[in-house]
Amino acid sequence: MQMSMVQPVFKLELNHKVSPGIVIIAKYDGTHPCLTASAGYDKIIIHHPYGGISSGRAQRSQAHGEVSELNVSQAVVALAAGPLRPDCTRDMLLIGSPTQILAYDVHDNSDLFFKEAQDGVNVLITGSFGKSNDMLVIVGGNSSVHGLSWEGNEVFWNVVSGRVTSMITFDFDKDGENELVIGCDDFYIRVLKNNQFIMELAETGSVSCLSLITEVRFAYGLVNGTIGIYEEGLRLWRVKSKQKAIALQWSGESLACAWANGRLDWRDGASGRVLRRVQMRAGSAAMLLADYRSLGAPDLVCVSDRGEVLGYPPYHENVGFNATTKKVPSEEDRLAITELLNRKQALMVEMQHYEANAASEDMDDRPVTGMPTNTRLQVAVTSNDDEGCLDLAISTNNETIVRTALVLAEGIFESGETLARHPTINNLRSLVYAPLKPPRDVPIDIHIKALVGYAESEQFHIFELTKHLPRFAMYRTAPSTLSKTKSDNFVTFRITERIQRICIWINQNFLLDEEVEIENEDMKELNMTFLSLRDKSQLNMNFAANGQVKFTTPDIGLAGDLIQSLAIYLNVGDLQV
Amino acid sequence: MMEYDLARIDYILCGITYPGTLKILPNPGHKTQQKFAVGDKNGVLQCLCIKDEEPIVQFKTLPGKPITSIQVASTNGNHIDKIFAASGHEVKGYTRKGKVFLTIETSVSETITSMCILNSDLVLCSGRTVTFYRDLREIYTYACEDRVLDIAAFSTPNSTRVRLLVLVGNKGAAVVENGELLARTQIPSGPTRLIVPPAHRTAELAVFYGASDGSIGLIQYETDLSSTCLVEGGGLGAVVCVGWYFSNGAHLAVGRHDGSVQLYLVDLDNVTEKPRLKFTYFCGEPITSVCGGSVGTEETELLVSTFSGRVFALRSQRLISGGVALNNMTPEALASRRNKLELEVARLEKQTAAEREKYQRNTRSLNAGMSTPPLLEIQYELTGAMLNGWQEVVITAGVPLDMLFIYCNKKLEVQTDSAAVLSVCPPQGKASEILATVRCQAGTRRIWLQMRAAVDCGPEITEGTQVLVYVLPAGAPRIARLIKLSLPALPQYSQHVDPDRADDRVWCELSLSGGFSVAEMTSWLSEALPGELPRPAASITFAREHCLLKTILICRYQRGAAVIKSDNVSTIATLKDLLSYCSLKRAIRVNISCDIPEMCCPMLFKSIKDRFLSEYQRKKEYHLKEAIGALDLDINTINNESEPILCEEYLRVWKSADDTKNKLFFNDLVATVEQWYSDWCKLSLYGRDNSSQKIQLKTALQECQVNDIESILTHNDLQIDSNM
Repeated sequence: MQMSMVQPVFKLELNHKVSPGIVIIAKYDGTHPCLTASAGYDKIIIHHPYGGISSGRAQRSQAHGEVSELNVSQAVVALAAGPLRPDCTRDMLLIGSPTQILAYDVHDNSDLFFKEAQDGVNVLITGSFGKSNDMLVIVGGNSSVHGLSWEGNEVFWNVVSGRVTSMITFDFDKDGENELVIGCDDFYIRVLKNNQFIMELAETGSVSCLSLITEVRFAYGLVNGTIGIYEEGLRLWRVKSKQKAIALQWSGESLACAWANGRLDWRDGASGRVLRRVQMRAGSAAMLLADYRSLGAPDLVCVSDRGEVLGYPPYHENVGFNATTKKVPSEEDRLAITELLNRKQALMVEMQHYEANAASEDMDDRPVTGMPTNTRLQVAVTSNDDEGCLDLAISTNNETIVRTALVLAEGIFESGETLARHPTINNLRSLVYAPLKPPRDVPIDIHIKALVGYAESEQFHIFELTKHLPRFAMYRTAPSTLSKTKSDNFVTFRITERIQRICIWINQNFLLDEEVEIENEDMKELNMTFLSLRDKSQLNMNFAANGQVKFTTPDIGLAGDLIQSLAIYLNVGDLQV
Repeated sequence: MMEYDLARIDYILCGITYPGTLKILPNPGHKTQQKFAVGDKNGVLQCLCIKDEEPIVQFKTLPGKPITSIQVASTNGNHIDKIFAASGHEVKGYTRKGKVFLTIETSVSETITSMCILNSDLVLCSGRTVTFYRDLREIYTYACEDRVLDIAAFSTPNSTRVRLLVLVGNKGAAVVENGELLARTQIPSGPTRLIVPPAHRTAELAVFYGASDGSIGLIQYETDLSSTCLVEGGGLGAVVCVGWYFSNGAHLAVGRHDGSVQLYLVDLDNVTEKPRLKFTYFCGEPITSVCGGSVGTEETELLVSTFSGRVFALRSQRLISGGVALNNMTPEALASRRNKLELEVARLEKQTAAEREKYQRNTRSLNAGMSTPPLLEIQYELTGAMLNGWQEVVITAGVPLDMLFIYCNKKLEVQTDSAAVLSVCPPQGKASEILATVRCQAGTRRIWLQMRAAVDCGPEITEGTQVLVYVLPAGAPRIARLIKLSLPALPQYSQHVDPDRADDRVWCELSLSGGFSVAEMTSWLSEALPGELPRPAASITFAREHCLLKTILICRYQRGAAVIKSDNVSTIATLKDLLSYCSLKRAIRVNISCDIPEMCCPMLFKSIKDRFLSEYQRKKEYHLKEAIGALDLDINTINNESEPILCEEYLRVWKSADDTKNKLFFNDLVATVEQWYSDWCKLSLYGRDNSSQKIQLKTALQECQVNDIESILTHNDLQIDSNM
């Protein structure tokens, strides 16, 4: 993929540094968009190309005639703007410092409100939420979200389990009311509806940005470099880069992404394939959608951390950025021919392999690259009490050896995204163990690549397998001999569900040597004890005949996860405690 | 920069190609569209012409030994109409019709890597030798000091004698006539390919070259041999091939290993003029040949072949969009070519699917056959340490890559292409290993890795380090190829120098005697030094230079005796350990003695003193700049000249260029000097403890107390005397 020669439709310099992520575009007079950004610790700059701001606290910048500076004497950690006042359409500027929120009317030079934020301020957005159509200020704190009215009164609040790093509001479940989608640093994206979390999406890293695409889709980015798209709670695709995504925007049927190193790319919404790529001269600070040229359609406004602003029109794949460079049909044929030859080349390489097999059928001696064709790879997961981990046993079914095993998964290794096993030359066997220690109770798909051959091979066959680890894989069934320790920590509740369905839930969510089965139809209760591989603590689950359920565990987080998982499986909205 | 607008048109697929195996046949006259010939690794030579962008095969040979060089020439002095293909140690001549009219079984021992034809003279390069044939009779061979990379022949006026300009690996260029060396010159950029200007005057001898550092230059010989660099490398890939492209002037076409094709406009009347870059195209895999000609249409286009065997043209957009009528080509012809190809791919798809099915059925059958895929087409080359101290390996594959897995039983630092994701795996028990994966971007066919031994891996380097790289392709066949790399113990000695140069240095000397052969000594030294060593001969002398410290290593050896000299005491210490370890392993008795002069440490320090001081300054400024940066001052306030808030000195530091890219070498230099001192103590004091001086030295180095450092390095013996 080569760098695109595409030129921006507009370009300007702010002559100020810009703090990444703290950039907005607002219409303070109700019509003209002004780029507003934090320019270092306590300074806010407002770019107003359509005429200056008359007076007030904002000072004209010495570095740029169309920029005003606003000093707020506190660190600026978040900015937002929106038409908060019900009586006018002008955008109000919201300035978040670590402990306070100031709502300021730039046009009138007056304060709307000033509010202490007990839980800190990480993210500010404006939007309507729930049944009310009023524009609210939504504050994401260190462990909570708060909604404030235009006068600064609290309208709602809720607890979130991590530091809020990103928020958007939209009608997630298509019922006509907006829900709040919250990204946190505890690797979860949660959907809040009327003070209830209706969905939790487990991710593999701290969430850095969220962006709405259509009614049912939104894009997300993680600190570890992953970006992707969710549709109705299901992930369509994701890709991982070494860079961190600063901002994502949906522009002209493709997903634009601004990376920390200043690269911008446009990706196909369905697959994540890169369509176009541009490199800015400095690292990215923000990317926003705004009609900055007042043409009636929003452009993609990209801001670098050195204060360079570039505008790109919506990108459409077939016509590129400018309709004038439309491809002539013959050129399309030529591109297709190049593609077809790529395909042909790949197929020919594959065919050579099969032809070589056919040619070697009569040979008796074992070539250095060979392997019996009926070699198969087997993978099993067993619990290892001594090491406190799960052992992934990877083996072949004959005398071939597993030279190398690569286990690819996200969020479960202390460093990187791979675990590798490469036995020494004297320890080559057809069986290799790889230890797994998932730190959190989430379902994980692990991909295994095993290189199989002979000890002296120069070339190895690659076997690939995907193994699904259930959510509670780190709890193994306790041996019957285990003495029951008395524990005072438990949670009880009541459900009305057949024990058969409970068994299915257990089979799906735990890693069991043998599946739990109902011995006869009359069985009405179930009692199971598990041992945590992490700390050897016990977990007891008792499902009584009368619907009473008791989970005994010293880990309150685990109890919560179990209830959440069971409730989602049984589709229970309310639990009777 | 992008002044020309050329677009790609794909012609054919062939096997893996070697550099310089695609040539355009000059025109016999009236007909204007030219043919081209390409030879591949499967040994297939094909000659094609293009009609309506559709390739038409003129002739095609059967597979055989890999074709490593192609030349076109005339045999009767008329127009050029013959194709010469070299494979193994054989050269075959073909007529335009594909008839073999000549076969030469040469006596060269190695594969012919390049050749050149002038009238009835044939010059072959293989390994280190140049072989000269006249009228199919071998006239002479000339052995160079290192691999012969490329060659050009020039006829001398009023004489039948032929002068040869030879590019020799690591040595630069040489002029040879009649088996005698006339002149030679060192060219540090490492020229790999040369090309003769199209209308050169026979009186002088001049060629353009492309080098492994990416630069382009000129070599001239009139009274003496000289070289001029015309275009700096500037981070571009190594030049693999060069060619001519004539369209509104003469352009030097350059194909590089990083997949770029470039056109430089050159002034043939004034060849020393800097060529102007006019066009760059990236194709993603190494380019093996570039040549200009009227192949697809009557106008010139650039014909390009790639490593994996793609042959395509770069043709002016004007000819493409408006040109359908111009070449009398209907859009239907193009659409029909596309349809034909679509059908062919669909058929191949079906055939492959059937074979795949059969293969997978086999995995479940009881009477197993063998799955024996052919070796994946992978080329790789490990360089000596570069200026930043890292060694680089470039891996090129014929198919797109998915992943690399790297294993080394010693601690290693690894870095890779920014487009790939490097992930260091958790250790598998022993902490002194490294396991890492590199996940490639889609379509990657070429990737580099840089490696160096971790700083804390300890001074006890007894032998070269072996690194295993498993290369996993993205598609079928699902086969991983294992590449074994040996990282030498002294990778920094990558620069070749003249062993006889007179230098005022203080030499440490290591003498060995015992029952070893020259081949054994060569193999032991290859554990220590990067790149190829001279081939075993009766007696061998060579010299290398440390790429960072500029210290010299001279090795002289013959059967049973070796003398190794260096002004770097640590180098001698490392070699002493390594050679005794190697001889022990082979159970050969070797007597090792070394002579370490008193003054070697202070002299060594003197040689890097300026650098040491400037690095210290850089380090200080770096910290200062960080501190100023942390104040988060407003750029406008800083730049306000009427009310300066920073003193001049701080302002200069603040404004100094961001050279975070150039890593700070100060700590490396400190470690180097410490190592010198401790090696000097080890070798000359026979293990006597002087740890207190070592601590003093460390403090003095870190605080840059030059006088203290020098006195510790110089007077250490005096201090020891007084202690006794």
